[in-house]
Amino acid sequence: MTAQTELESKAETHGQATAKRAEKVDFKMITFSLAGKEYGVDIMNVKEIAKASRFTYVPNAAPFVRGVYNLRGEIISVVDLRIFFHLPAERKAEDALESLIILKIEEHVFGVIVDAIDKVVGISSASIQPPHPIFGDINVKYIRGIVENGGKLYIILDVEKIFAPPRAEEVGAAAATPTEAVRAREAESPAAIAAGGDVSAAFIKETLASFRGFYVTTLNETWFDARFAQWKAMRKGEDLQLREASEADQFLEGFWSPGTGELWDDDYCAAVEKALPPIEAKSINVWNPGCGKGYETWALACVLRKRYPETRIKIWANDSDLLAISMAPNMVFSEDSPAYYAPFLSKGRNGMAFNQAVRDSIFFEFHDVLNANTLPPLDLVLCRDMLSFVAPIDQMRLLGDFSDKLKPNGIVLCGANERLVEGWAAAGSGLVQAFRKD
Amino acid sequence: MRVEYINPFVEAAFNVLREVLQSDVRRGELYLKSTSMPVMGVAAIVGLAGDVEGRVLFDMDKPTALKIASAMNNEQLNSFDDLVKATITELANMITAQAVTKLHDLGFRFDLTPPAIFTGENMEVSNADVEALIVPMETAHGKIEINVAVRERA
Repeated sequence: MTAQTELESKAETHGQATAKRAEKVDFKMITFSLAGKEYGVDIMNVKEIAKASRFTYVPNAAPFVRGVYNLRGEIISVVDLRIFFHLPAERKAEDALESLIILKIEEHVFGVIVDAIDKVVGISSASIQPPHPIFGDINVKYIRGIVENGGKLYIILDVEKIFAPPRAEEVGAAAATPTEAVRAREAESPAAIAAGGDVSAAFIKETLASFRGFYVTTLNETWFDARFAQWKAMRKGEDLQLREASEADQFLEGFWSPGTGELWDDDYCAAVEKALPPIEAKSINVWNPGCGKGYETWALACVLRKRYPETRIKIWANDSDLLAISMAPNMVFSEDSPAYYAPFLSKGRNGMAFNQAVRDSIFFEFHDVLNANTLPPLDLVLCRDMLSFVAPIDQMRLLGDFSDKLKPNGIVLCGANERLVEGWAAAGSGLVQAFRKD
Repeated sequence: MRVEYINPFVEAAFNVLREVLQSDVRRGELYLKSTSMPVMGVAAIVGLAGDVEGRVLFDMDKPTALKIASAMNNEQLNSFDDLVKATITELANMITAQAVTKLHDLGFRFDLTPPAIFTGENMEVSNADVEALIVPMETAHGKIEINVAVRERA
């Protein structure tokens, strides 16, 4: 609407001053568009409008937070309203200017990104109608009302509700709406949606991810639910939340598989040996992503040697922690290692070391599994407690890699508390969680 | 990349650079990279074959290349001519050859291809399916990045 038509409409308003409803302009709003629809916010909440780009990315922030921005010395957080409301947002180049409305709510200043800022529209607050429940794109609780002006319908957003600092009991709920939903859309992980049910559970999932990089998905959901029930009982009405990294560690106690980060004991070795299928081929290829210091890789090499004595064994063991893996190839062990390893150990200069046959079967590689993995067809993947520590989207990718590279009868050995679902069938028993392609 | 391969390259780069430049050299933090990366301006490349397949790339900007070539030739070189190119190529060859010798002592069989040198603005190198180990070296004349991308021959 041009200034002229605005004047006209004002004149019209004056002309109809005695009409059925007293039309006095007592509510002004800034109007803008999101995904082709018109919206408005109360001008009293708007500090200014601006064009800006190059927002500073904030790690671990919710997906709708584009970052922070320096507004003449004041650091403000910038929220992309389109992503917040799950509307299509065009990805602009890094330095392309975005339209920003700077909002001031109580003492806080925020920037919100919208498609385009239109103008200021004055209306009578009496003409605002309550939102209709079937309004579609945007959750009704964030809408203050609908108003018609100059032939256009504007949806007035209740920015105070959107940006008010969430009260404790709302934290989970708020997190469960945009954050979780966006994540779920990205990773298509049903676990994230289910999280909405229990606020504290959702909160614990968030903190586990940020403190320890542990992600709850279908992979470990069963364990998480059981552990959460236990945690609740342990804390008895106390605050359930994990406030620091050490509490996250405490929560994760019991997640670890037997023999994590050390040579497996005799019982576990025997259990793994039993879970391995008979293999006729002349050579066996194994992938061990996330091998850390390599103890478990050595243990597996011995188990495989014993299970398939006549076969050529090749294990690719990767880790992206240079410090951990650089020690792995030349590891020495103490004399009182479990009896299972005795046939493979020989006395070296500095202590017990594995014999050449075992050594030759392992390739320790400094490699990040999130980069491209080039491997031959595999018979076995050992990834105990490793998948839980990569982001859901990478989890899906790695599982895709496993399934691409495994031979038809190949198996994946997971952590004791991890379960592969969708396209995988259980093939293990007891202590050892093994899965084959379904 | 196999853990055993890392040290020979790092040590060879460190020793050779310190010897030819007669000055202090500092090694930066090693890291992995998989996407394509920009080349600073001068890149010498040596191919590897044998037990593995891959290549080593020595990347630096032009002023650094000039200063290093000047130091190695004991004279002030001001233009990027054949002598500078030959010197940088030779440096790449020396470092890779020493690394391969060390690897040989450890029982790995590597062969090298003759080095090649690329110069230009706005260059980029990509190996889509092999990640590269980046060894940054800080010398008195500027930064050299050694970019090793090798994989086991399947």
